Amino acid sequence: MSAAPEVPGTVAPAPAAAQRGKAPPRLRGEWPLVGHLQELRRRPIELFARVRRECGEIGELNFAGSRVVLLSGEEAQEAFFRGSDEQLDQAAAYPFMTPIFGRGVLFDATPEQRKQGLRNQSLRDSFMRGHAEVIAAETQRMMAKLGDEGAVDLLDFFSELTLYTSSACLVGKGFREELTPEYFRVFYELEKGTDAIAYVNPYLPLPAFRQRDRARRRLVELLSGVFARRASAPREKRELFDVLLSLRQPDGSARFSVDQITGMFISMMFAGHHTTSGTAAWTLIELLRHPDAGARVVAELDALYADGREVSYQALREIPQLESAIKEALRLHPPLILLMRKVMSDFHYKEWTVPAGKLVAVSPAISNRMPECFPDPDRYDLDRYAEGREEDARLFAWIPFGAGRHRCVGAAFAMMQLKAIFSTLLRDYAFELAQPAESYRNDHSKMVVQLAQPCRARYRRRAAAASP
Amino acid sequence: MMRIRVDMDLCQGHAVCKEEAPAVFAVDATSNRVVVLAERPDESLRAEVRRAVKFCPTRAIRLEED
Repeated sequence: MSAAPEVPGTVAPAPAAAQRGKAPPRLRGEWPLVGHLQELRRRPIELFARVRRECGEIGELNFAGSRVVLLSGEEAQEAFFRGSDEQLDQAAAYPFMTPIFGRGVLFDATPEQRKQGLRNQSLRDSFMRGHAEVIAAETQRMMAKLGDEGAVDLLDFFSELTLYTSSACLVGKGFREELTPEYFRVFYELEKGTDAIAYVNPYLPLPAFRQRDRARRRLVELLSGVFARRASAPREKRELFDVLLSLRQPDGSARFSVDQITGMFISMMFAGHHTTSGTAAWTLIELLRHPDAGARVVAELDALYADGREVSYQALREIPQLESAIKEALRLHPPLILLMRKVMSDFHYKEWTVPAGKLVAVSPAISNRMPECFPDPDRYDLDRYAEGREEDARLFAWIPFGAGRHRCVGAAFAMMQLKAIFSTLLRDYAFELAQPAESYRNDHSKMVVQLAQPCRARYRRRAAAASP
Repeated sequence: MMRIRVDMDLCQGHAVCKEEAPAVFAVDATSNRVVVLAERPDESLRAEVRRAVKFCPTRAIRLEED
């Protein structure tokens, strides 16, 4: 089905080729049974780069029997992102997520139900100003806890902060007050449970999977306590989960169990937690690695906030240098390095056909550094986003948020959140790296990318803070 | 004259265009996608149409001249 609603000015999608084409070339270096899985678990970005180098814009990988066809280049990626839900399905492509979300959540839903889910009202533009205020206040609260001077681990710091900001904005302020640092540690264990060995079987008795399941049980336990306490809250103080928990079936039994609500909480947080947290950390690390860029951003913020205006106002407007710094961190260190879809009916691209049943994939890590779209791609350069260049306007090449109809629905929220966090942090504090600049790196051993620890930075309150 | 083109594969119904240029854009409640009310809007609306194009979170709107 390609039934885009009939709207004046609609750009019609190109008709797909009808006849069956060649099979995509297979990447060399498959091991018996596991295929390229070990390479995926050790050096995923290098593996994807090898596909582009050795096979070209299309090449097939083998993840322990799951056949994944990697598309790269602006044109092939556009074909991927324009695929309809009925042809390319997201749900079946991420087996490592099911044990984390639990049954009956998100990826069990039909495409139609998932479309409804896109309408998360709290992500609507009209709510953003209130969110910006909450985020600025949470950032100040974190720093107040830390004092005027010291050092933080960037993974822990931004994981904790973004857990509070996301839950306060997306669930409710009352719920956020129930959260403690234990929650972000539990989330970290869940995120570490995304080992690609899940392509063999996501329930193997491995330490990472046992920790994942223990973390999920602990989260259900913690949230049961929260909901029990909140059950006595007055009606007008009730928030999203309180309402969902109070829903009854016709026979009087509960519509949703605490286990299911926990799954919803995990799925809401998962999309916006490690992704925003990692991007915040990389934005700061890159600004500290490039002091000229750092000075430009701080000068811009000082000028903007010199008149004492509120972060909640400014974070919704343009902050060009800071936005460029966030975009450049996203380009060089995209939080998701592989986007996948299951092929539901034969997918044709140029002379090739990918038959139903296989997976197709695109790698933001490869795309964001294609030299034909991003000249001198490994160079950190804020001017890429300046008027006249606007390299992020290449919608199917600059893809840290994906593209097309499944582009991250939280992208605008994430940008606003990062602008509010850095407006607050860089206005009041100066930061410096606490270890060699080249020692900061991502840990790619799991499908969820995390900053590798240690990743420390020092901070101290600025003498002449711009706020009045 | 201005002519508005929308790439419906990109629209996610964020409704920013509607906020910027309510005379030109609406969001359909059922499909949760943009509806172009005026494909060739009046010249007096140019500034707000440009803002709608610029701030669309998915860059789904293009402004052409003919």
